[in-house]
Amino acid sequence: MRSVEKHPNADKLSVCRVFDGETELQVVCGAPNVRAGGRYPLARVGATLPDGSLTIKKSKLRGVESFGMLCAADELGLSGDHSGLMELSETWAAGTPLAEVIGPPDTVFELEITPNRPDCLSLIGIARELAAVYRKPLQKPAITGVSEALSTDLSLVKIEDADACARYTARLLEYVTVGPSPDWMQRRLERAGIRAINNVVDITNYVMLETGQPLHAFDRDLLAEGRVVVRRAKKGERMQTLDESEHELDPTMLVIADAVRPVAVAGVMGGAGSEIRNETKNVLLESAWFDPALVRTTSRKLGLSTESSYRFERGADIEGVEWASRRAAQLLIEFAGAKLVGDVVDSRPEAAPLRKIEGPYQKIRDIMGIDVADETIREIFTHLGLGVLDAPSGHYALEIPSFRADLERDVDLVEEVARIHGLDKIPAPSPRAVVDPRAAENGTPRAKAKLRSVLAGLGLSEISNYSFVSDALLDLLDRGNQPKRVPIPRPLSADHSVLRISLAPQMTATLGRNRAHQATRAALYEIGRTFERGADGVVEIERLCIGLFGPVGRIGFDRHSAVESEEIFLWAKGLIEALLATMGLDAPTVTPHPVAYAEQGASVEFHIKGVSIGTLSLLNRSTRKEWRMTDPVAIAELDVAPLLTNALAVRVFHDIPAYPSITRDVAMIVSDSVTHEDIIRVMREAAPPELSAIELFDIFKGPAIGEGRRSVAYSLVYISARRTLTDDEANTYHNSVKGALRKQLSAEIREG
Amino acid sequence: MMPVFPAGRLNDSMNSGEIQELQTAAIAEIAASGDLSALDAARVKYLGRNGRVQDILLALREAPVDQKRELGRLANEFKNSVQAAVDERREALQSAASVAAFDVTLPGRWPHRGTRHPVTQIIDRAVEIFGQLGFTVADGPDIETPFHNFDALNTPANHPSRDPKDTFYLGDGTLLRTHTSPVQIRVMQSRQPPVRIIAPGRCYRPDTTDATHSANFHQVEGLYVDRKVSLADLKGDLTYFARQMMGPNVKIRFRPHFFPFTEPSVEYDFSCHVCGGKGCRVCKQSGWIEISGAGIVDPNVFKAVGYDSTQYTGYAFGMGVERIAMILLGIPDIRMLYDNDVRVLRQF
Ligand SMILES: [Zn+2]
Repeated sequence: MRSVEKHPNADKLSVCRVFDGETELQVVCGAPNVRAGGRYPLARVGATLPDGSLTIKKSKLRGVESFGMLCAADELGLSGDHSGLMELSETWAAGTPLAEVIGPPDTVFELEITPNRPDCLSLIGIARELAAVYRKPLQKPAITGVSEALSTDLSLVKIEDADACARYTARLLEYVTVGPSPDWMQRRLERAGIRAINNVVDITNYVMLETGQPLHAFDRDLLAEGRVVVRRAKKGERMQTLDESEHELDPTMLVIADAVRPVAVAGVMGGAGSEIRNETKNVLLESAWFDPALVRTTSRKLGLSTESSYRFERGADIEGVEWASRRAAQLLIEFAGAKLVGDVVDSRPEAAPLRKIEGPYQKIRDIMGIDVADETIREIFTHLGLGVLDAPSGHYALEIPSFRADLERDVDLVEEVARIHGLDKIPAPSPRAVVDPRAAENGTPRAKAKLRSVLAGLGLSEISNYSFVSDALLDLLDRGNQPKRVPIPRPLSADHSVLRISLAPQMTATLGRNRAHQATRAALYEIGRTFERGADGVVEIERLCIGLFGPVGRIGFDRHSAVESEEIFLWAKGLIEALLATMGLDAPTVTPHPVAYAEQGASVEFHIKGVSIGTLSLLNRSTRKEWRMTDPVAIAELDVAPLLTNALAVRVFHDIPAYPSITRDVAMIVSDSVTHEDIIRVMREAAPPELSAIELFDIFKGPAIGEGRRSVAYSLVYISARRTLTDDEANTYHNSVKGALRKQLSAEIREG
Repeated sequence: MMPVFPAGRLNDSMNSGEIQELQTAAIAEIAASGDLSALDAARVKYLGRNGRVQDILLALREAPVDQKRELGRLANEFKNSVQAAVDERREALQSAASVAAFDVTLPGRWPHRGTRHPVTQIIDRAVEIFGQLGFTVADGPDIETPFHNFDALNTPANHPSRDPKDTFYLGDGTLLRTHTSPVQIRVMQSRQPPVRIIAPGRCYRPDTTDATHSANFHQVEGLYVDRKVSLADLKGDLTYFARQMMGPNVKIRFRPHFFPFTEPSVEYDFSCHVCGGKGCRVCKQSGWIEISGAGIVDPNVFKAVGYDSTQYTGYAFGMGVERIAMILLGIPDIRMLYDNDVRVLRQF
């Protein structure tokens, strides 16, 4: 960049004189970081950006001609950075092809590292895995010129909480020249998703990527008394972190402090007050081991999750702390002109003896289900960096290095062998043919599957709603169950704040929603658990809910005439009766029964052998209004368990009649207060066992019959299991039925 | 029109071949008659007083003695089979006349057509397939104790999955189960090996709802404990399941993974049932579809339920029911499974 001038007609644009190695070009640029003397990628006229979105043309921007485009890293597809032009090292000569600067095309592998393998949050860790896969030696970077000698001056570092900080090393470096780090290092950092800042910070990050050990560099001149104290934060202590956010600390948190104030949140993030500046000369390089649980809670509390905290949370290698520091010191000497001052301060407990694991090779093979030779297994162990010790024949004995804290027991070694040998090599044999007599216990799921098939066969579509629901929706149908509801203390939203105590509210909402989507009818069911607070905790009850609206039971073409309440109620009742019969249950008795969300007088309870199994209701007007449903809606709620009791029972053959039957009809006018059930009961009581069936075949109301009365007609079938009935016998039976109807129900029998 | 034999061949008597030819022609003409009057015309033409049958009878009368027997048989056969063809055709024409009175293209009138929810369809299918391998269904409550959901499954006290951000706690020491694995624990506490169970059920995690996440979802858990149960058994059984569920050529792939309750742990993928592994939109060009996790039951889990891990090993696997339903049925968004829109439900 030869010169940069403000654009005459635009505040945010600059007019740049750019030298491309051959000629000087005029380029208009909008980046904030463009400055004379810088080196930037230039796309000349005719160049096309990597994503193909733009071919550079000679153009005019606000009246000034431009012959190319200076590029940000994202425009070149090199990173997501669009904060400004991509800054290149000033060591490059103008006109150098960018390909030469950024190096050959690279491949970035994104690896998902499971939480048990913090050692693989590093290049060396991954290299070790690959070394084992390819049976090649692992080559770590060689370190020269950095002394390992321990300092005897311990005043530099004071550890007040040795449980939280089991190891702390510090190296002092002087004559540091802060500037950009080498291009190759910047590139690698950027490809790993870490922004390049300056050589000192970049080196700490680079070594973290190499080793998995997070490091921190302090400007020692900004540390009061030039020393660090590892301690708990004091109540009310405040600190500004490197991301420029201000935090209030508390004693659950570990900090690195100088003689006066905290300068870093241990293992999480450095403080703004001690960071590396352009004028930094003296650096204190920290490499330490912090307690994983403590870093995790601190990181959560502060809402700060960093590359560093991520690694400490999963567990850094306490024995790798000093090596990483040494590696960083070497790079600081090489790329920041630093000189070491004194020896390394290393505050640590005595190294724990390495864990030993022994076991038979055969167990590893048994668990994998594949034959792998002892020798191959041993080779895998060796290449993974495990110490293979002498062991009796057929057995292995291993010494586990500190970076593999996840290997504790012999079973933990199976995965090592399976992974490296190759999970793809594990065969997929045919299932073992073992007949388990307990397989016959699948009664309940089979009965439930039958229940679902029967419901589908009856024309119902299955739905599935969340177990969570809002109090408001439950209240719409029934406020009375409030005390029994089970709230969720930390719900995702108010709509999901309580466990459902009934399936009816969501069924109602589902019908309403479908109505709003212009469905003209729906016949739905749901089977699900409901939750209610009982005396001994929460009770889970599996229920079946059925919901109907529209002309779902109508067989004719008439889809437009309004569905009557009685009509839809009887469809629902009929389908429940069919369901119970198909599930092998006796005919239920049905009695009027109040239900909170029902229209007055339009709700019943079903009983089988005296046990209530649920209710059927027509939804009341005020609830329907919530979904603008003007026509009637039927909702049934039944317990599932009683429906399954007889579902799989074997039916026993009953003789079919061997003699002909005789059918006699009876038509009568009765008061509206006389129910169908009353009539059936009276008929049954009056007739002998030869009365085998009663069928209603007509109901009529009208002026001819009179107010408050109706005409009903039934067919009665008489049959004997032992002989052919005579007409006389049938007439006698029938007459006694008629007599009883007259006497007990004041029926007017219509003769003729 | 059928070929008509020229009349007036009185002197030129019919031979047996010609009689048979005439019979074939007569039957074809009768079968092709479009209504009752056409049929009657054909009958008269062949069997009538002046019909072609008279030519045959004439030939029979004039035939030499040694041929009379054969021609007599043919004449009889002609009369019988042509009459039978007439009767059959009349029957057909008459019954057609009686049903043509209404519009058979009107819509059918049986209004009942029900459907099963995709989630329960997949669950029932999984139960059926594993049932073939001798697995029984086990069940447990939705509301669980931390012991069954975490502790007994070797989940450390500080494990992130226990965080209230990842688990719904009910405030009384219980929680909504985050997986169906607690059913394993309940089963193993109640019976001794061998155990082969499958546990379908609802699970809950405080995930923000999007196209692939739902705070309320279903899993099918499998557990097999016996002597010397291996990763190979796991792969074999899952392969059997995958082929039954997805298609006959599906393969299983294991990838190493980590779960507290299994060691070793794997994630397993199905090869794509749509493209056969070549890569397509369904498998995002990878040829594989990630399903869920599995592994060999960790000895610490056996310890928690009192099983002897020196005698027994076992495998366990989980699978997300919604995920399989979405893959198999091509449902693009998990929320569609809980919207209960009849326009969607009708499709399955
Ligand atoms: Zn595919």
